[in-house]
Formats: sequence, structure tokens, C-alpha cells
Amino acid sequence: MIEAQNLSRRYGDFTAVDDVSFAVGEGEILGLLGPNGAGKTTTIRMITGFLPPTGGRVTIGGTDLFEAPVKARRQIGYLPENVALYSEMRVGEYLAYRAGLEGLKRAEAKRACESAQERCLLSDVRNQVIGTLSKGYRQRVGLATAILHDPEVLVLDEPTVGLDPKQIIAIRELIRDLGRERTLILSTHILSEVELLCNRVLIIDKGRIVAEGTPESLRQSSRGASEIRVAFAGVAGVDAAAAESVASVAEMSAALGALAGITAVTPGAEAGEFRLAASAEADPRAEIFRLAVAKGWTLVELAQSKASLEDVFVRLTTNRPVEAAEPIEDDHPDPANDRDEAAEPSEEVPS
Amino acid sequence: MRAVLATYLRELRAYFLSPLAYVVAFFFLVINGVLFGMMITQLAQPGAPSGPPMGYFFGSTWLILIVLGTILPMRLLSEELRSGSIEVLMTAPITEGQVVAGKYLAALSFFALLWLPTLGYAGILAHYGEVQWGPIAAGYLSVLLVGALFLSVGTFASAMTKSQLIAAVITFAILIVLFLVGLLEQLASGEVWKNVFGYLDISAAMDELGKGVLDTRRLVYYISTSWFFLFLTSRALEDRKWR
Repeated sequence: MIEAQNLSRRYGDFTAVDDVSFAVGEGEILGLLGPNGAGKTTTIRMITGFLPPTGGRVTIGGTDLFEAPVKARRQIGYLPENVALYSEMRVGEYLAYRAGLEGLKRAEAKRACESAQERCLLSDVRNQVIGTLSKGYRQRVGLATAILHDPEVLVLDEPTVGLDPKQIIAIRELIRDLGRERTLILSTHILSEVELLCNRVLIIDKGRIVAEGTPESLRQSSRGASEIRVAFAGVAGVDAAAAESVASVAEMSAALGALAGITAVTPGAEAGEFRLAASAEADPRAEIFRLAVAKGWTLVELAQSKASLEDVFVRLTTNRPVEAAEPIEDDHPDPANDRDEAAEPSEEVPS
Repeated sequence: MRAVLATYLRELRAYFLSPLAYVVAFFFLVINGVLFGMMITQLAQPGAPSGPPMGYFFGSTWLILIVLGTILPMRLLSEELRSGSIEVLMTAPITEGQVVAGKYLAALSFFALLWLPTLGYAGILAHYGEVQWGPIAAGYLSVLLVGALFLSVGTFASAMTKSQLIAAVITFAILIVLFLVGLLEQLASGEVWKNVFGYLDISAAMDELGKGVLDTRRLVYYISTSWFFLFLTSRALEDRKWR
């Protein structure tokens, strides 16, 4: 549906996007992922025809965006990062105006406005002046204009930024709904959103594609970074009375590091807690258990966290290894669950 | 075509929703009314110059035209650039030229509507005496043509900057130059230059038109120059993408 070939964009000496190629098929939801300033918005502006690329080309449904811009743009619905609306207009008026801009006929336009208002839950505010709407509602008005003319391609640039958790859930549901029937490109820096919505991911950093694949395959490629958390009770000097056997942190550290498959041992915040980096193939949990039994240490926690998309992301977009990167939240967002906390800064990628 | 119409209607509505337009309309009518009243009083004095009163009226409107040309279009594109709504506008299936056309025609329509009440002056004159309608129609035509030129300059300036104020300053400067070029006629030496500047003399042209003299060379000047500035405007919009 959308094909970008060798897209490049320079601003003076600065190269914002460097030789990016990708294709999005019908019914696919592509996630564009990258830290701030990676070139996501520039890429999106090029595939929506707002910015001409300094190199490469874009075709939408077979139509070249720069040879037949009007025809190609008719097939795109676009929600920009900062939704700028005419604040003096009423919601209904604005949608009617947009329908005219898209070239819809009077009856068609009326129907399109009705259905867009309904889908984006705007019917209650249709007579309200846009300037008085909250950010969430404005975002929905933006989304309504994007789907107004029933485009085959929908491009959404950070659609959930600045919304409250309830609105985020509503917008995500809408996006998933929309993605069922059309091609969708979604840019975001919220990882759980990508895991939740997209069936393909493109990770961009410094204007280049650094990884591409399904969220699943990207996660698998990062198995090497899997992490194990271990905690023992009764470490010397802490809780000696309760312990059957007393050992020092250094002793434990050395013993754990000696196990097969463990590549690094990092003591945790509390004495007796450790974070272990394990190599891809190994599952040393059984070994750790046997070690604890043999030494008589009281094992109170043992958990392996699979590499999340976050790990992949951090590894690909920074030059540091995962261990040295920003502290990773212990409870990684589980892609299977809808969770509102996605809006919290802790889940956003460090920029 | 539908897209141009949508842009035109939105922009026209925006005029009626903005307080600025009402302030402009208020002062426009007050100043014109006072001007007209003073002129009639003067012309009623014994020994006053003869001639059609509406002719004098049109001859005195150049300052108002400059002010309108500066204020009415200053918002048109600069506001889109400032708020960022240009992004959703220029990703809709509409060309730069169509955007400029829709917005410019809206400004021109609002401008024409502002002048509508002044038809009442001619009505007053007709009530108390003989009025020649031909020269009055020519006077309105000249106001419309000069207005079209000034508004095109304002539209152009508004595509150059995000700031309405800067757009207004640019417009004012260009309009002053356009206006003063005509006055060079007095200073120019040589028949050719005198003629050239004479044709560019907007104030003289309005005097002539007010008296019922239609000169096609002046019409060509207004229309082609307006067209030129609108062309520059759509070019300026396209050019923004490359920066």
C-alpha cells in the first residue's frame, strides 16, 4: 500500500533521515519506534507529502506522491504530532470543512462527518468551539479528520501523547479497530503501545533503520540479554539470627558467577539480591536452586525476565550494553495485558 | 474546485468570527462617514471646486485602502504557519495554488462587503440631487481593483512569516513603495519616465476612475500585479517545504 524507497532528508548539513526504505502492506499496522529526534516525524512528514524528501521516493497505492500529490494524498489520513485545529470553529463545522477539503460531495460529506463523529466519540461535543476542548478531545477531532474520507492509509504520529490513561485506552482501541480494515502507520516512543498494536516494527535511530521485524522476532533476537533476579535471605550482618547458614555477599557473588551460563553478576540494592545476566541458550535457574540447597542459603526469589522490546530498543539505540543502560523497570510491561501505566514516564524510552 | 470552495468559506467565516474584522469594519465606517460628511460640507460652501462628490470621495480613500490591505490579509497564512495547521492543510488533497486562491478570494470578498454600506452615500446624494451612476460604478471598480492589488501583497507577506505583525509590516512597506512610485512622476525628468511613473500612480488612477475615466492600461497593471503577487505567494508556500 505504501512504499518508501531510499528516503533521505537533509536540513542544510544535518541529515535527519538517511536512506530509509520500507513497505507496508494492506491491513498491516507498522510501528515506527525511535528515541526523540530519531527522524520519526520527518519520515512521517515525507510519506504524507508534507515534506518533500531530498532523495528517494514514496508511492501510495501505486501513485507517486510527488508526481501526483493530490491523488496520492486523497488516500491518506494523517494525524500529526501536534494537532493544530482552527480554534474558532465548532467541531461539526470543522469536520464539514475538512470533508469539503477532501472533495466529498454534500451528501457524502454529511454521512462521513456523522460516522467520524460517532467513531471518535465526538457526538456530544459537535457544537462546541474547538478552542474550548480538552487535549484529549482535540486529539479525537484530529483523528476524526484523519478517517473522515475513509482513507486506505492512516498515518498517526504519536497519537496518545498527552492523554490521560482512560483516553489512551479509548484511542488505542479505536486504532486497533481502524487497523483491521486499513493500512496503518503508527509512530510512537511508548514501547508497550507498539507491542500492543503493531504487527511489524521499524526501529529508527539517527535517521536510519536499525531493526525491523515483528515485536516477537525482535524480542527473540535479543535473548542474549535475558536477566535473572535472585535473592537470598539471611545474609551476613543483615538477618543473621534467622539464617541457618550465613554467607557474605562476596561469597555468594563468586559462587553465582561460577555457574555455567552466567555472564555477569550485579549485586542488588539489598544485601542478598543479585541481578544475573545469562547467555542466550542457558537457563541456569535449576543450577542456582541446587547451589542454594548445597550451600544451605535460603532462596526467597528466583525469576527470569525475558528480554522485552524495551531491551531491544535500548540496545539498538544506545551504544551501551543493556546492563549499563538506564535502570530497567523490574516489572516489564506484559504485552498481553492492556495496561494504562504505559503513559508513565518510567516506560518511556530514555532519550 | 470543491477544496477551493471549502477553503474560501472557512476563511470568510473566520473573518466574521474574529473580533479584528469587527474593529476594522467599525473604524472603516466611522472614518468613511466622517470623511464623506466633511467633504459634503466643504463642497456645499460657496466657491467650492465643482465636480462629482463621489469622485472626491474615491480620491480620498487611498489611505484607508492601504490600511485594509495591510490588516485584512495579514492572518491568512501566517496563522497557519504559526499554529502548525498548515501541516494538516497541505497534506489534504489541495494544491498550494488552490489554498492561496481560496484564502485570497475570502479576503477580497470581505473587503468588498466592507464597501457595501458606502453605497448609501451615493443614495444620499441621489436623494438630494442629480447623480451620475457611471462614474460611481467606475469608482467602485477602482476601489475593488486597487484593493485586489493591495490584498494580494498582504497575502504574499503573510506567507513569508509566522508572525501576523511582521506580515503587516512587510505589507505596509511594499504598499507604501507601490504608492510612492506614482509620485515619482513629479520628479522624473524625460517624457518616457514621466509616462511610466504616471501609469503606476495609484492615487491619480483613482482620481481618474472616480471621474469616470477608464484606462485599460491601469486595469492591466492592477490585475497583472495582483496575479504576480499571488503567484509569488503560492511559490513561497511551496518553498517553505525545502527549508
